[in-house]
Amino acid sequence: MPERTSQRASQDLRVNFFRPRPGFMRKEVTIIWLTLVAWGLVTFGLPLYVGMQHTDPVRTLEESPTLLGLPFYFLFEGQLVIVWFILICFIFNSLIDWLTTSYRSRR
Amino acid sequence: MEIAAIKFTPLVLLGLALVVSLSVGTVIRRPSQSGYGIQFHSLGHASIGAAIASNWMSAASFLGIAGIFFVKGYFAFAYVLGWTGGYVLLLILMGSQIRRFGKYTAPDFVEARYESSVARVFSAVIAILISVIYCVAQYKGIGLVFAWIFGVDYTRALLFGIAVTLGYLVIAGVVGANRNQQLHYLVLIVSFVVPLLFIAHKLGYGWGFPQFSYGQALRDLPPEMARDTLYPWTYGSPYQWISLSFTLMVGTAGLPHVLSRFYTVPNSRDARWGVVWGLFFIGLLYWHAPAFAAFAKVWQARTGLELDGSAAAQIADLIVIKSGEWIGIAPLLVAVLAVGATLAAMSTITGLLVTGAGAFAYDIYYRLINPQASEKHLYNVAKAFTIILALIILVIALNPPGLIAQITAVAFALAGNTLFPLFLLGIWWHRTNKHGAIAGMLVGTAITFLPIVFGRLIPGLTDILPPTSSALIGAPVVILTMIVVSRLTPPPSKEMQRFLVEKVHGP
Repeated sequence: MPERTSQRASQDLRVNFFRPRPGFMRKEVTIIWLTLVAWGLVTFGLPLYVGMQHTDPVRTLEESPTLLGLPFYFLFEGQLVIVWFILICFIFNSLIDWLTTSYRSRR
Repeated sequence: MEIAAIKFTPLVLLGLALVVSLSVGTVIRRPSQSGYGIQFHSLGHASIGAAIASNWMSAASFLGIAGIFFVKGYFAFAYVLGWTGGYVLLLILMGSQIRRFGKYTAPDFVEARYESSVARVFSAVIAILISVIYCVAQYKGIGLVFAWIFGVDYTRALLFGIAVTLGYLVIAGVVGANRNQQLHYLVLIVSFVVPLLFIAHKLGYGWGFPQFSYGQALRDLPPEMARDTLYPWTYGSPYQWISLSFTLMVGTAGLPHVLSRFYTVPNSRDARWGVVWGLFFIGLLYWHAPAFAAFAKVWQARTGLELDGSAAAQIADLIVIKSGEWIGIAPLLVAVLAVGATLAAMSTITGLLVTGAGAFAYDIYYRLINPQASEKHLYNVAKAFTIILALIILVIALNPPGLIAQITAVAFALAGNTLFPLFLLGIWWHRTNKHGAIAGMLVGTAITFLPIVFGRLIPGLTDILPPTSSALIGAPVVILTMIVVSRLTPPPSKEMQRFLVEKVHGP
């Protein structure tokens, strides 16, 4: 029985991001999805939020919270977004390193 | 050309920089282990990151970001977001897998993955088109800087600048000079940041961290000017912002010369960690770039210099240099900025011309026209095509169609609409086949050029599909096309599917 299962596994040549193979690939794809959410929050979420919040030029400048002399949304898009990207890349790499090490040691 | 109009400090400094670059390149050259001049010696992650950043930094980064910020204020951050977020996409979706696949150029990957020399030829044509568009922006940068140095009009400056660039390429080829990527990055970032510190100091703002002190500078602008610069939607809607930044992101993840950096590192882990450092080094430049434009605006407000929209657009791409000149920092520091911008543009042009010529000689000429051609003959074809390519780009660059950042963005749109889906599905869906790939490339190319060719004829087309931002709609359409066509045609070979499972996606 186990022989048949492993034979089936070796014949399974599926690579599908939406239906990843069990094991390493499935865990890798989970990490990718989590990172994509963090990436999407900034790529799509923040501009939509800023778009909804700031519809009037005068009120935007008067009412937006400021940091280092800049409205926060401005500071975030101009400076902090790069820090955010570096951070999520760092976490992604650390998780993939951990996953790869744990699967290689099982072999 | 009047001698009195020539600025000798930047001229001498540029000459020195080119001589030093050639000398260092000749001294540090090492025997290459592959036909692509790629070296697989051991590299630290920071060193790989510096190479990624050096490869990335062109006139679009050095001059373009500040230029677009000068004209469009906050909206310019869509470029910053796009050109950094693209590396996140590249890292998480493809970085390791591309390295494991083990091919050295985009056409190499396409032929191997899709088992089709026709697909390879299509991808080579697209890579050449991307190089052409990308180079137009670099030519514009060179033309503007040379016009500033020599005090001549843009056309004459462009012709002379390109002659110098090609001369440099020929001499570098004759003496066999390699570019040290890490040193190149260091020179560019120092020549960008140090003059900015002096600009901030001269205007009375915090010089230690000009990337933050320009916030106060923007607050000091007259109310209307401050509002136009700081308000998010003065120059574009949220849709335009998202479509532009998304296009730049997928374009980054599909650009041949960006992807090639991943093939050239020792292993996939190094490729991944190199990206983190690369993002940091690229970020160093982008954190500072808007400050040039902000300080230039402050100077404008203080002196009462009024520029209408078209005057601002004309000067925008030179604002990095102009800000130093206007504000009155030492001429040597202004010259450093001009030399940094020229080196950034020249290195990108030479790299892209060589890549484009190689793609023509090996992927098109050898495959389609003369399969019996010897290596020496192909080398001569590549040299001849370099000149032809340089002249084609020159003709387009004589009337540049937009700001440097905007022209560059069109190259990203083409990469995002064609090569990005090809790589993404090629890696993450075993069922994608050559028919899907070819259909995807055709549809992606059509979508990219549709708003450029028919934008004036079809009302509203460029609102939905802006030429710089077409991949928000284009990339999903191409992916869908590839899926449908692949489903309707036979799957790729079992060998390729097994290779994907065992070699590309293994732990």
